[in-house]
Amino acid sequence: MGIAGQSHSLITARDAGLVACQQCGQVHRLGTRVCKRCEGRLQSRDGESLQKVWAWLIAGMIAYIPANLYPMLLTSTLVERSESTIIGGVVELVEHGSWGIAAIVFIASVMIPVGKFVAIMYLAISVQRHSKDNQHERHKAYEVVEFIGRWSMIDVFVVAILSALVQLDTIATINPGIAAVSFALSVIFTMLSAQAFDSRLIWDADRTRP
Amino acid sequence: MSEPTNPGPAPFDVRPVKKRIWQRLSLVWLVPLVALGISLWAAWQNYADRGTLITISFENASGISAGETTIKYRDVTVGEVEDVEFSEGLTDVLVHARIDKTVAPFLDDDAQFWVVRPDVSIRGITGLETVLSGVFIEGNWDTDADVAQTEFTGLEQPNLTRANQRGIRVVLRADDGGSIAAGAPVLHKGIEVGYLEKPELSFNGRQVVVNAFIESPYDRRITSSTRFWDTSGFSVSFGTGGVSLDVSSLASVIEGGIAFDTVVSGGNPINEGHRFDIFEGEQQARDSLFLDPNAEILEVAVLFEQSVSGLAVGSEVRFQGIRIGEVSDLNAIVVGEATDAQVRLQAVLAIEPSRLGMGGDATVDEALELLSDFVTRGLRARMVTGNILAGTLFVELVEVEDALPAIMTLTSGDFPVIPTTTSEISDVAATAEGLLARINALPVEELMDGAINLMDSFERLANDEYTRATPAALVALLDESRELINSDDVQAIPRDLRDVIGDLDGLVAEANDVGLIANLDSAVVTAGRVAANFELATQNLPKITADIQALTARANELELEALVASATDSLNAIDAFLGTDDAVAFPREANAALSTMRALLDEVREGGAVANVNAALASANQAAKAVEDAVSTLPALAARANQLVTQTEAVVNSYSERSRFSAETLATLRDIQEASDAISSLARTIERNPNSLLIGR
Repeated sequence: MGIAGQSHSLITARDAGLVACQQCGQVHRLGTRVCKRCEGRLQSRDGESLQKVWAWLIAGMIAYIPANLYPMLLTSTLVERSESTIIGGVVELVEHGSWGIAAIVFIASVMIPVGKFVAIMYLAISVQRHSKDNQHERHKAYEVVEFIGRWSMIDVFVVAILSALVQLDTIATINPGIAAVSFALSVIFTMLSAQAFDSRLIWDADRTRP
Repeated sequence: MSEPTNPGPAPFDVRPVKKRIWQRLSLVWLVPLVALGISLWAAWQNYADRGTLITISFENASGISAGETTIKYRDVTVGEVEDVEFSEGLTDVLVHARIDKTVAPFLDDDAQFWVVRPDVSIRGITGLETVLSGVFIEGNWDTDADVAQTEFTGLEQPNLTRANQRGIRVVLRADDGGSIAAGAPVLHKGIEVGYLEKPELSFNGRQVVVNAFIESPYDRRITSSTRFWDTSGFSVSFGTGGVSLDVSSLASVIEGGIAFDTVVSGGNPINEGHRFDIFEGEQQARDSLFLDPNAEILEVAVLFEQSVSGLAVGSEVRFQGIRIGEVSDLNAIVVGEATDAQVRLQAVLAIEPSRLGMGGDATVDEALELLSDFVTRGLRARMVTGNILAGTLFVELVEVEDALPAIMTLTSGDFPVIPTTTSEISDVAATAEGLLARINALPVEELMDGAINLMDSFERLANDEYTRATPAALVALLDESRELINSDDVQAIPRDLRDVIGDLDGLVAEANDVGLIANLDSAVVTAGRVAANFELATQNLPKITADIQALTARANELELEALVASATDSLNAIDAFLGTDDAVAFPREANAALSTMRALLDEVREGGAVANVNAALASANQAAKAVEDAVSTLPALAARANQLVTQTEAVVNSYSERSRFSAETLATLRDIQEASDAISSLARTIERNPNSLLIGR
């Protein structure tokens, strides 16, 4: 029996005929549809999880393209009008010698989003392949991805705050560019993608592949 | 629990039936699809809207930077520079720019681009906004969409005329572009109504061609009879009308400018690009108004015998004071044959028949006929001074009343010839030359000679031994007189006289009876008159001195010619006077007179008269009775003695003034000497530098 084969390792709730509420943690008997406590929908496994992950991820990646191509900030001062994209801004900061700020912007706006894409893709693919490797590490990676995703919004916040503060008519005005919206969408989509990932699938590899 | 022992059906691998792929698809896939759709749509939109790529080549691209420099059309941004690069061979800078799709179709071959930079000129500051914002490229094209182009050559200078601007563009031609600058104003009655574009050399390189744009509605003022002229700077012209100074607006003084006016009506409307000439000044422009370039020109020749310097091609030809044409050619031709050959200076006159009062459609033949008619009635050509200072001449056709009969020679030579009459040329050079010639002709040297002769004469007179001897002789005479007076005999005379008088008392009564006293009296009066005459004669010398002094004074202050003439006359007169034998003889004669006098005194002293008197008195005393005989001789003697004394006294008196006389003479001589020096120095100065007469130094 499969169960016997798994006896030496951990037993999943599903094996035990239980299902846990994802919201409040209440454990129910398998087959219960709605959580008695929080009336949340109970699912032992989300069969559409990977589809959602991929869908949100692709949407996030699509949104990430204009976020990099279009200007993030529209700065118009008395003498000039400049538009800076994310990478352009980083390069400019580096040219000005502000390595620290450049690093922050680069990490928050480029490395983290791209890292998230890669991480989520890796997780999704590994689940699809029923990989049994590094299950713990993958779970940790998922935790990190989910946690760190929101920090990507730091760029958007900076743009939003600057746009709100620097409105001095002709002297100096900062407006958000299309990239700010795209970037925010990209971050939101990847966060949704990360959330759509059912981390329990990581552990199903043992089960579904006898 | 039996199930494990009774193998039933093998446990089913219960799996749900695989749903079809679209059934398994989550709705969440719509999200990336929408995102993709939006992205693609945005990309397409962007691609579709990004405009047409054009390339503008500039010689230099200072201030143009990719991504920043915009392209503006009528101050609206219609594009942006995307890239700046060099053309092959680095000859040009290629500026690639995106132009809005809506505008791109209008970029046909009349589109022009130039870089707007700050420009400070006398007419104001333009492009100031580019100081802060950086340069931009301004484009200009009309509103007709033609065959769109993508390759353009940028202008180095801004094009001043908007393609859509209302007005008219005319082409102006000038011989010299020195006073024409791009942007210079075109003035009409003093207000700016247009401007010049960039001047360029004409195709053959002979003229400067510049487009002028006249803004609407002033363009309606331009007809085919409009004339343009140069108002740049200020012009000072010496014309036949004298000096005229023209100053236009300050901007045109510095930057140059063109003015136009349409004086006469009746011009035809012009089309865009009509060609006009730029005249040097308003006067020439107005004069030319009557010179219809298309009118027929009658060319006649005038043969002058004298120099035509001052006459030039373009000099006016006037008839009764009115301009009827101009000199079109000047050359020398040979008239006559073989030994009779002479060189004549031929001036070809271009005469407009219409200016002869024959109406606009007068033909050349009619005009020639008219002129020929005039010539038989006495019409002659002559050169007349137009302007004394400039020495310009013009040709005038005048009717000479007593002219020798002549006709126009129509057949010989290239042109009909109008006979000439005496020209009226009076130029400054000739006048000045004449003045100098007259000064040269002044008898300055004769004057000097006369003065020197006068000096010589005076010197000779003064050095004459007789003149020198005169004082000595006088002193001797005085000494002798004193001696005579002091002599015992003369001293005795009073005593004797007293005796005689005593005797005479008696005699007087007697004498009264015989009229002796009356005789004596008359003798004395005569003696006095003679003495007065001599004195008068001597007094004339100071008067001459005074005359000379006055003359010198006049000479010092008088005008040159009068002075010279007067001084010459005076000196000649004085010279003549001094040169006469009488004058030369005067001292000698005076000396002789004194000698005679001395001899007389000697005679008197040495027993002549005095002894005789004494003897006579003695005789009288002794022979009282013989008195009656003596009485007849006594009055004569007394009269003679008296006369002598008086004369002596007069001479002494007159010569007592000798010192003053001499001083005056000497002063006179010095004055004359000074005057002569002054004249001589003046003469030298004039000889050396004739100009001084003109310029006063």
